[in-house]
Amino acid sequence: MTPWAYIPQLISAGITIGAIYALVGLGFVTIARASQIINFAQGEFVMLGGVITFFLLKRGGLPYPLAALVAVISVVIIGFLLHILVVYPLRKASIPILLMATLGASIFLSSTSGLTFGTLPKALPPFSGNQSLQIGGIFIVPQSLWVLGATFLLLVFLYLLSHRTLLGKAMEASSTDPLGADLLGISRNLMVFLAFGVSAGMGAIAGILITPIFYTSYNAGTMLGLKGFIAAVLGGWGKNSGAILGGFVLGAVESLSVAFIPSGYKDAVAFVILLLILYFRPKGILGSPYIDSRRW
Amino acid sequence: MKGKKAIILWISFLILSSISWATPAYLAEKSPYKIGVNLELTGPWAEVTKTVKRTMVMEVEKINAMGGVDGHPLDLVIEDNGFDLGRAAANMTKFARNKEIVAVVGPFEDNLQATTRAIAEREGITDIIICPSNPMVRGLKQRWSFNIAQNDIIVSQKLVDLCLARGYKKVLVFPGNWPLALSLAEYFKRFGEEKGIEVIISKETHKPTDIDMTPQLIKLKPVIESEKVDALYASTGGPPGPIICKNMRTLGIKIPIIGTHAFGFNFIIALGGEAMEGVEFGAGKPVVPYQLDKDDPVRPIVIDFDKRMRERYGMGADQIAGHAHDTIWLIYDALKRCHGKVTRAKFRDALENTKGLKSCHGIYNYSPTDHDGLAKRDMVFIRIQGQRFMRIKFPGFE
Repeated sequence: MTPWAYIPQLISAGITIGAIYALVGLGFVTIARASQIINFAQGEFVMLGGVITFFLLKRGGLPYPLAALVAVISVVIIGFLLHILVVYPLRKASIPILLMATLGASIFLSSTSGLTFGTLPKALPPFSGNQSLQIGGIFIVPQSLWVLGATFLLLVFLYLLSHRTLLGKAMEASSTDPLGADLLGISRNLMVFLAFGVSAGMGAIAGILITPIFYTSYNAGTMLGLKGFIAAVLGGWGKNSGAILGGFVLGAVESLSVAFIPSGYKDAVAFVILLLILYFRPKGILGSPYIDSRRW
Repeated sequence: MKGKKAIILWISFLILSSISWATPAYLAEKSPYKIGVNLELTGPWAEVTKTVKRTMVMEVEKINAMGGVDGHPLDLVIEDNGFDLGRAAANMTKFARNKEIVAVVGPFEDNLQATTRAIAEREGITDIIICPSNPMVRGLKQRWSFNIAQNDIIVSQKLVDLCLARGYKKVLVFPGNWPLALSLAEYFKRFGEEKGIEVIISKETHKPTDIDMTPQLIKLKPVIESEKVDALYASTGGPPGPIICKNMRTLGIKIPIIGTHAFGFNFIIALGGEAMEGVEFGAGKPVVPYQLDKDDPVRPIVIDFDKRMRERYGMGADQIAGHAHDTIWLIYDALKRCHGKVTRAKFRDALENTKGLKSCHGIYNYSPTDHDGLAKRDMVFIRIQGQRFMRIKFPGFE
């Protein structure tokens, strides 16, 4: 049997995980646009979303939608706290120091989650049934459709936020021209604070969406964070559309690679792609507002 | 002046508390036998090793309440290795250099055992390891190291029996890419082919950290269909097991799944949910304490242990708790047979001469050529049914 025969099924698997990479990537971009910070705790938001929902559902006995909502709200609060306690005190420090600080916060969050909620892996029940749908020889879990639908809604929300509201425009302004934003009386710290909240919320939703398909555990955030970062760089660092495209491309390529090379190298594929992008097109597929192409 | 007083008070308090900790007053007349415990108390398996620690503490308390070993209490010196090779080695060396320590228990993970075994061999101290041995370490024929879990050979033999009983003629193996999973697959192929079962080991493997096996299984699906495979054997441990089951059912692969003894944990069922229904495997007896035969020699031990665990910690016995229980009783038994003259070398010889010791997992027999203890008869067939472990029996195969 030739590898080509199972490509449709592989692509459909890749798109599901791609949607998650896109959401994580968007989380990175949202914060980076507001403050130029790369928030390496982004993956932990995803992990916390899944783990807290699991905890509320199984131990707290809350109904599923309420547990999910409470989890998203708590993760948003954690996002705000991350800004207040880690990023804001270091606002005058250089970017590499902030980067290390978020890395430290990420280790702190994952260890705390391991201590509070336990280290064993956890899976949530699917939103609607286990029976997979068969469409033209391709099997799809209903949860994948939930992932895609919710991702789409989040993207619309984010688009409206940044293009149609004053708040979004203020966030945009403080990233493109900090001095100009200051002169117009936009509080940049407030914008970064809000960006942390938005990106934590997106991460948490991504976590709740995928935990029924895959599983989550206290140390699952690191890998998801890295993949999301790669997605954002691949699509074009600093662009929302870039992170989305990068996520789907990365998911599909990762999944497709299995058809041609042994599956043991599946994770390596993402990093090889990152290296190739950094060598040959550092501004990403769609180009990046932060990387001046003339320098390359 | 005030500060100094406070420091002195503190120091004396610490000394006093440490003394009272080390030697309970009622057993103060004879020195304790100290056992070093080198466990992954933090890191990915923290929850599982917590069970190990709790069980060992509970069993040691029971032994001490019974009067210890000929009046000497047992004393556990517990150190965390944080799932880190360096720290596991450091703990092992520290225990080996401490002349009071008679033997060491741990580590729990396969990846760490090669190192601590080497240190045990060099320093001359017994190391009882809570995971199965693998062909690589068995090949070294180390004198000082003992494993207490069912090894890959007997697990594979048990699974071949399962296939014979179920009438599977052709089995596809989807192994993990780590040594123990691969050797389970290899032995399964060897023993299976001796009994006339056709075994295909897939070239696709998976990693312990893979959260999605769909791509691999998509590639295996045409093989399963064209070769008319009767069952898929997931030679793996930990989260990948339920993920394989879930992903297979999602892709519409309906053939039966057989698993390893690592499927015998409640969190595995919780992870896999409905997809785990009908999965069959061979596992240790503590998985189904109340479904063992009435005349099973270890049934009363397992049930008593299960009751005490439920009473004290609110959780029943499982395989890992069973291993921890057996470790302590093996140590107790070997110390007893040292007849009061306990040295490291005497303890090792006594442990190696363990014969017919009944404990949770079965009947332990060690010998100079067998440091694994258990045999095929110490395993039972399990089927996951209604989200619970059900024992299944086949005439002629136990």
